[in-house]
Formats: sequence, structure tokens, C-alpha cells
Amino acid sequence: MKLGKRWLPAHILVWSYAVLLIVPLYYFLASAFKTNDEIFAHPFALPTSFGFGNFRTAFDSADLGLAVVNSTLVTVFALVLTLGLALPAAFALARSTGRLASVMEKVFSLGFLIPTFAALFPTFLLAAATGLFHTRTFMVLFLPATAMPLSVVILVQFMRTIPKEMEEAARMDGASTFAVLRHVYIPMCMPGIATVLLLNFLTFWNEYLYSLVIIGPDPAQRTVQVALPTLKSITGTDYGVLTAGTVLTLVPVWVVYTVLQKRMQQALVSGAVKM
Amino acid sequence: MTTLTPTPGDTTVRRPGPPTATAERRAPRQGGTGLAVPALIWYLVFMVGPMIAIFVVAALHWPGMLQPVSFAGLGNVRTVLDDPVFWDAVRNTAVQLAVALPIMIVCAYMLGYYVAQKPPGHRVIRYLLFIPGLISTPAKAMVFYAALSPDGLANGALESVGLGSLTDAWLASPSTALACLIALDVWAGIGFTAVLFAARLGSVPDELGEAAQLDGAGHWRTMWLIHFPVIRDYVGVVTMLQFLWTLFGSAQHVLLLTQGGPGSSSTTLSFLVYQKAFIAADLGYSQTVGVILFLAGLVGLLTIRRAFRQTY
Repeated sequence: MKLGKRWLPAHILVWSYAVLLIVPLYYFLASAFKTNDEIFAHPFALPTSFGFGNFRTAFDSADLGLAVVNSTLVTVFALVLTLGLALPAAFALARSTGRLASVMEKVFSLGFLIPTFAALFPTFLLAAATGLFHTRTFMVLFLPATAMPLSVVILVQFMRTIPKEMEEAARMDGASTFAVLRHVYIPMCMPGIATVLLLNFLTFWNEYLYSLVIIGPDPAQRTVQVALPTLKSITGTDYGVLTAGTVLTLVPVWVVYTVLQKRMQQALVSGAVKM
Repeated sequence: MTTLTPTPGDTTVRRPGPPTATAERRAPRQGGTGLAVPALIWYLVFMVGPMIAIFVVAALHWPGMLQPVSFAGLGNVRTVLDDPVFWDAVRNTAVQLAVALPIMIVCAYMLGYYVAQKPPGHRVIRYLLFIPGLISTPAKAMVFYAALSPDGLANGALESVGLGSLTDAWLASPSTALACLIALDVWAGIGFTAVLFAARLGSVPDELGEAAQLDGAGHWRTMWLIHFPVIRDYVGVVTMLQFLWTLFGSAQHVLLLTQGGPGSSSTTLSFLVYQKAFIAADLGYSQTVGVILFLAGLVGLLTIRRAFRQTY
């Protein structure tokens, strides 16, 4: 359909919202290279010099370097565990025709209705009971469970599209069940695996409340999302440092988004609503 | 962002005919359901278990982690219902949902329709709309903190255009604290929701809109009278998602930006759950609110689903 002159108000509204989205990010990026005085005098001016002083201060005062390492560890191990659990499960459910399997699948899809936040305190009790309170280990074990419903459902959908002749052919060559999974199913549902990895990378890296309560504020263990808000109280109102720290935590997500833009957008759309 | 809602009917249409135990044994493929067991156990232990525990703890009198625990039955419910702070939280949550949800969904639908028409620059717009979906809650909170703190962006802008008298400590003033939280919900919610709508509207056949145009309908009428009915149930599902995110997710925003204050002017129900558990150490109270929150979520979901039921 053609967009006529009467669309002018729409263009203006949409682009002003776009500006509202981009201006804070520009402000953060620019301020990360400025001092407080410069920020207050010219909040939107380009920085006059590109020194990394603010980044260094943010790194030192909130131990951000360590926090990035912790976040990376938690995210990577949780992702590995998620795939380790979800791939065999999806494989089993996609191929099985039994009633048990359909019940299991229903149990997983009901998981979409459980808002993770609701069980924060009982999860905290569980961490205390297992002796894993204040450790990253518990988060590595816990995060895959929250990701299970989504990951299993997405992978099952992909695996259902694989023709069963592929498996029969492999069986003829004497492949075991595990070999079928390893050499037939996994290579063929790489797009599904990529979707699951991208979505869960975002959720795991950005997870805040559970990390705060369970890993706690110990600088040796805490993740970057827990360390970030502490900059506010440590530095008072040094916006340069505050924004530099925020920019640092956004970099990994930004790199992944820009490199894998198309795929990431598809993943986010398909992960939000399964239609 | 992984809270999901299954499509109605999605899981029910898959298997025709009742499979029996013998059919399962005769199934030609080997290596059966056993492989799904580890994932299931994981999920039951870490998700379903804690979920059930909420209801148990809600019936306990438990005034702190190391304090003796006793059975309270419905005593916590009475305490909660007699507490004015709880009713403040109910009111704040109701206001938050009643303001944020309609604005978010209506604006996002129109924005999604706009993007789906592929106007010039729609790729850039689409790239930008994903931003709120990518950045973490603490980072979003930092953005709003930088914008709304006493010497932040908003006050700076007001002063530079000569409206210095309008400046305020936005996050620390009882009349604006809740509004700031709602603004954060709307700011972050519209973009991502619009992307979802745009993706769905993209699969509506073009002929539908063109036919309406030939009949003399403008974009406004095409948008609401032609396209909206087609994706009505999808709008319902997305509304359910945003409802859940807003209802349960507000705890993090409140914690990071206002701590529920001043007084209880920005305490929401989900923040009350957090605050009573980890700050006030009144665990039975906290989980009783948790149960109420859970029931509110359930009632809300059913209501929204009913409201958006396909009408043709």
C-alpha cells in the first residue's frame, strides 16, 4: 500500500520514539568519555577526547573485570548444560509417539506460565539447603531449568521436521540411538540450536534478581549485572564512570546483536510467542 | 524474556487417536522417552518444586531465616489483608497495569502496523526497536537513573529551555515515583512488542489491505477494522505476556530505582514479595503475597484471553 501525505504525523511520531530509544544510548556512550563537568555543561556534545579513564575507574572501583569473567563463566556453563539437557529431551519427545511423551511435552509447555520471579524465595531456600548459597555453581545449575520449557519446545519443533528416513538410513548402517542424535539430528537442527543459544545467552547474561539474591554481593563471585548498580552508590554521582560501566556490560550483547542481527531478531520474535 | 504462553490448542492437536501402552512398545523407533527424564527432573526440582513451596511457606509463621517456624494456617492472610501497605501495593500495581498495558499495546500495535508497511527507513527503525529487548534490567534502570535523578538529563533539559521551575527529584517524589516506573515499562515495552506485531502483520496477505483500500478505506480503518480482527488472538497472547512481565517484573525496577518509596508510594505487589522476604524477613507474609500475586496473574491471564477471543 502507498503511504500518502497523511502519514506525516505517523512518520514524526515513530521517529521521535526511535530518538527516545537511541538518545539514552548515545548519551551513555558519549558520557563514558567525559568528566562530570563536561556532561553537565554539554550533555549531548561529542566527547573532546577518547581517554579510557572512566572505564578504568569503573573497572577498579566495582571490580568489573572480575564480574565480566564471572558472568561469562555462568553464561557459558549454563548454556552448555541447557543444551546437554534439552537436546536429548527434545530428541526423545520429537521421535516418540507414546502417551508418556505427550504428557511430558505438555508439562514443559505449561512451564511458560510459571513466571520465574514468583519462586525467588523458595529457590533461595533450595540454594541454602543444597549448600550452594553464595556460589556461581547454583546459578549454573538453576538457569538451565528456567530455560528448559522454551528450549525443549523450540528444539522439538525443529526436530519434528527431520524426515524419519534419515534415521532409518543411519540405523541400517548400524548407528546407535546416541549416534543418530549426534550425527543426524544435531547437524540438521543447527538453526534451532542457534536460536536456543542466542535467546538463552541474552537471558542468562542479563539475569539480575536471582544473581543478586543467590550469588550475592561478594566481588569474587558476583556477576556483571549485580556489580553494575553498585557503581551508583560507590561513585555517588560520577556519571562518567556510571555510564562507562553500563556501556561495558552492553558490549557483549551489542557485538552479538550486530554480527547476528537477522538471526537474533528471528530468535527473539520466535522465542517470545510460539504461534 | 523467556516467559511464554502456549498458544491455545497448540499442544492438543498433535496426536490423533489414543496411543496405547502396546503401541508405545511396538513403536518402530528406538531409544525412547528415557532421554527426556534428566531435563524433566531438572525442571521439576528447580522450577516446579519452588513453585509449590510458595504455598507451603505462605501457611507458616516464619519471622526470619533463623527464627523458629510455626504453622499459621490462614493467619498470614489476615495479617496481609489488615496491612495498609499491602493495599497501597495493590493500588499501585492496579494503576501500573491499567496505565502501562493499554498504552503499550495500542502504541505497539500502531507502530507494528507502520513498520509492516515497509516505509522508508523501516530497517533502521526495526533495528532500533529491538534495543529495549537486548539491554538488561540494571542497564535500563541506569538509563532512567541518569535521565531522572535531580541533576540528570530531564532536569537539565527543562532548565536549558527556561522551565527550571518544573524540575523535580522525579524518582524521590511521592507524586512522580510511580509514574517514572510506568514510563520505564512503556518506554521499554513498546519497542519489543511492536516488533512482535510487525512480524505477525507481515504474514497477513497484502491483498487484504489492498482490497480495503479499493473500497476507499484509509489506513486508520484498515489498521483497526481489517488487520486487527485477523491477528486479534495474537494481540491477546502478546497482551498476556506483557501483563505477566509487568506484574512480576516490576520488582526489579522498583528495587533499582525507588526502593518502593517514598513511603510506600511506589511499592508494587511483586516488590512487596521481595521486600518482605529479603529486607523485612517476614517470610510467611512475603509468600502469602506471592500466592496472591500468582492468583492475580492467573485471573488476569484468563480475563485477557477471554477479552481477545477470536470473534469470527
